[in-house]
Amino acid sequence: MTTTEKTLTQQRHETVVEAILALDPAGIAYVPSASIAGIINGLVDVATDAMPVFPVSREEEAVGIVGAYPLAGKFGVIVMQDNGFGNSLTALTTFAVSYHLPLLIVANTRGGLGEYNSMIHSISAPVPELLRAASIPVFSLDRRNDLEDWHATVVEAGKHAQMTFRPVVVLMEFFDHRDAKARA
Amino acid sequence: MKRIEALTTIVARTTELPVVATCAATSRELASVADTDNHLYLLDAMGLAVSVATGLAQVLAGSSLDRAVCVEGDGSLLMNLGAAATAGYLAPDNLVIVLLDNGVYASTAGIPTQAARLDLGAIAESVGLAVLRVDDQVGLDAALATALQQPGPWFIHARTEPGNVAGTPLLLIDPVSHGDRFRRWVTERAAA
Repeated sequence: MTTTEKTLTQQRHETVVEAILALDPAGIAYVPSASIAGIINGLVDVATDAMPVFPVSREEEAVGIVGAYPLAGKFGVIVMQDNGFGNSLTALTTFAVSYHLPLLIVANTRGGLGEYNSMIHSISAPVPELLRAASIPVFSLDRRNDLEDWHATVVEAGKHAQMTFRPVVVLMEFFDHRDAKARA
Repeated sequence: MKRIEALTTIVARTTELPVVATCAATSRELASVADTDNHLYLLDAMGLAVSVATGLAQVLAGSSLDRAVCVEGDGSLLMNLGAAATAGYLAPDNLVIVLLDNGVYASTAGIPTQAARLDLGAIAESVGLAVLRVDDQVGLDAALATALQQPGPWFIHARTEPGNVAGTPLLLIDPVSHGDRFRRWVTERAAA
């Protein structure tokens, strides 16, 4: 499949991978989601000893592991879906926010347009307000942003985390009426 | 062995290593033994000590700081047991977890944890951590000597008595300045 034959979702996945790599992270922790399997697999494919890409069993673990990187002068990224923020809020607030530890979280959204699960919106819909209430900046991407903007937003969010010494979240909605296979 | 005795033994062996301590009474008692720049107290981050130490072990691999030490409690580990599984999965050979297992949530009225019936050392073994079992200071010192020299990841299962040292001061510190103290200590030595 050539670049022009890739779906919009596949192109966005590749763009997010490129943007994360542009931040030169010391490691990337992930909690899986079918909607962002392309991102996770793309990162796993380029993992090295100097940049491990690894699963964790729960989002708060990722905050603990990746949140520790700045204590050694490094920076890391978490890839997850937004329904996991409920699991990670105590770790985010009492560790990353309280100790001023920069990290970037890129998370796909659930519960919105394109959602097929009947209850996940109960946690996912209030996530932006929950995060902002905890002093965690949130930036959003969806079908209305072009690829260049997806790339720039992820890169700049990572820089913003490091400039402002705190966790920063990019929420990615993958629904797109032009892509029949796009999933929430 | 009392917890304060275990912490005294740990401090003596780790003066030149980063030490991450779980929250509440364990951090307070550690600070009462020695409040030094190589200590990171997780003041309220419940269940996160193993994860934080695992992350440190990852990014310190190959540096002049050849170990990341975690002082964890049974109640805290049980709050985030997946952290042990991930430590076993990632298997950083420079990670040393010291579990101070007193079978109770000593910081919250001494209410029993599941460790009263579960063998956390056996759980650690099942996820691939190298387990050493001790119940006194001599045994703990010997276990630390091994873990600080031989490749891990290590899990020292240290049985301690329930209870806290009465009158240990609260850690009324700013986490930002505390974290920065630790960061400066780590980065200066890791770069050396």
